[in-house]
Amino acid sequence: MIASEYKQKRGGSSAMLQVRAVSKAFHYDTTNSPNHAVLNGVSIDIKDGEFVTIVGPSGCGKSTLLNIIAGLDSPDSGSIFVKGERKTSTDPDRIVIFQEGALFPWLTVTENVEFGLKLAGVPKDKRIEKARHFVSMMQLSRFADSYIHQLSGGMKQRVAIARALAMDPDVLLMDEPFAALDVQTRDMLHNHLLQIHEATKKTILFVTHNINEALLLGSRVIVLSPSLGNIRKDIVIDLPRPRDIDSPELVLLKRQILKELEEDFQFARKENTTATREKTAQ
Amino acid sequence: MLEKKTQQQPEKKRRNKSRFDVSDAANTALFLAAFVGVWQLVFMLGIWPQFLLPSPAMVVTSIANLIADSSLPIGLGVTMLRLAAGFVVSIGIGGVVGLAMVKFPGFGKTMSSFAVGLLTFPSIAWVPFAILLIGFNDFGILFVVVMASVFSVMITTYSSIRNIPPLYLRAANNMGAKGFALFRYVMIPAATPSLILGIRQAWSFAWHALIGAEILITTLYGLGHILSIGKEFVDMGLIIATMVTIFVIGMVFDRIIFRKIEERVRARWGLDQHADSQ
Ligand SMILES: Nc1ncnc2c1ncn2[C@@H]1O[C@H](COP(=O)(O)OP(=O)(O)OP(=O)(O)O)[C@@H](O)[C@H]1O
Ligand SMILES: [Mg+2]
Repeated sequence: MIASEYKQKRGGSSAMLQVRAVSKAFHYDTTNSPNHAVLNGVSIDIKDGEFVTIVGPSGCGKSTLLNIIAGLDSPDSGSIFVKGERKTSTDPDRIVIFQEGALFPWLTVTENVEFGLKLAGVPKDKRIEKARHFVSMMQLSRFADSYIHQLSGGMKQRVAIARALAMDPDVLLMDEPFAALDVQTRDMLHNHLLQIHEATKKTILFVTHNINEALLLGSRVIVLSPSLGNIRKDIVIDLPRPRDIDSPELVLLKRQILKELEEDFQFARKENTTATREKTAQ
Repeated sequence: MLEKKTQQQPEKKRRNKSRFDVSDAANTALFLAAFVGVWQLVFMLGIWPQFLLPSPAMVVTSIANLIADSSLPIGLGVTMLRLAAGFVVSIGIGGVVGLAMVKFPGFGKTMSSFAVGLLTFPSIAWVPFAILLIGFNDFGILFVVVMASVFSVMITTYSSIRNIPPLYLRAANNMGAKGFALFRYVMIPAATPSLILGIRQAWSFAWHALIGAEILITTLYGLGHILSIGKEFVDMGLIIATMVTIFVIGMVFDRIIFRKIEERVRARWGLDQHADSQ
């Protein structure tokens, strides 16, 4: 079988990243409205070298989950482990690539890539050498001394990837990094990312609202449901990459995921209408 | 294709800018010539006696004399020293208090409304206070200069750091920037474009206050002091010569030094891209 339900083995020591029963609710100022539970006991195990994509509609808590994993946000309950070690704050072992790139406009491309190494106290000649390596890996050598505003959107995301790789993190966390790009550039970057994953064997957790993207990239696709605040489906995709989105297997999987999300949507709508009815009754 | 286009962009921009600079200089020269011409004309009409309105040539002679007897260079030097001292103290105190305001939000909120109030307070109004408290000396002048500019530095530090996009801080934090490293390598550079604007404003406040204070708090040296001597001895040539010097200093700092720094930062950040098309 090409696609199969992922079977979670609890307490497996081979896991690179473990998300354990993470919950998070947001509190609103309006006193009588309930807290908005975004994540509801989410648990994920990711093995070393896995490329996991998380897909879910906008607002379902993908960024929230990723930020918690990165230590940029703290969960209400639950915990994060990297190589079996509990993590409660940010650490260069988990680097986030943000949708907007978050590159520093006051630094050149190379200086941006060097940034984390400089903080880590890597000597200058060594970090320049390393930065050059990743800049050329992302095919940006011609722009090594350019400032960020001189780059196109796709180039910016490549710099962000180079900057993350230079830190040599255990886990690469990507939050819709290609969402703002045009289709051709995105295709190009997909292939580029797959090559890098092939070459570096980094563990990658990639979040997106784009089902095609999730299916093309992931060796495992996790569907996040806004109504549950939890994982709706966890599928292992055993197809070689690069993949064809029009292949029968992926078309089937896509239809399946869309159906799941549609059910979710209807559920959410029903809840919404009951909520409004209650409100009007008051 | 895309890549080529972005690479050529800076080149084109530079060429545009240099052409702009030439026409800018021509405009300035034309304006100056017209101004001197009108001045000469008014002089020749003889509305005021010569000692009250000297001709441009007479002012040039005044300047030459002042330079020859070295009273202008000394006065200028003393004034610039005071300016530098006052400005350094302002940046030091304003910067530290501004950072404390960021660190302690309660203090920041109170202090910022207080400082905004003092920002509009006319610096000359500090002079009697400074004379009685400190006396007719350099420290009295320094006090007025610092009071005129320190609140501007404070507010600027406070607001530029608070307005740093949180995304930069999150990304830096994620890469291991904490404490002083975060401050030195992220907060300061991220706040630089707006810090420069504020420091430019603080400089201009300090400069205004300094000349005013030098006129009112009499000491032995300084451009302001030369102005009050000119008034005492009814020497309009001396007064206008000093005014020209003050004007030139202001231009040099504001138009050349601060603008160059600002342009460089803005170009690096790409903040002028939209302005080009206007
Ligand atoms: N700081 C916050 N305060 C209050 N509510 C928040 C906060 N951050 C996120 N939320 C809410 O949590 C939910 C999930 O947000 P999140 O950003 O994780 O969604 P997402 O899946 O990343 O969406 P998108 O695809 O649009 O990026 C949203 O309903 C959002 O309104
Ligand atoms: Mg998001």
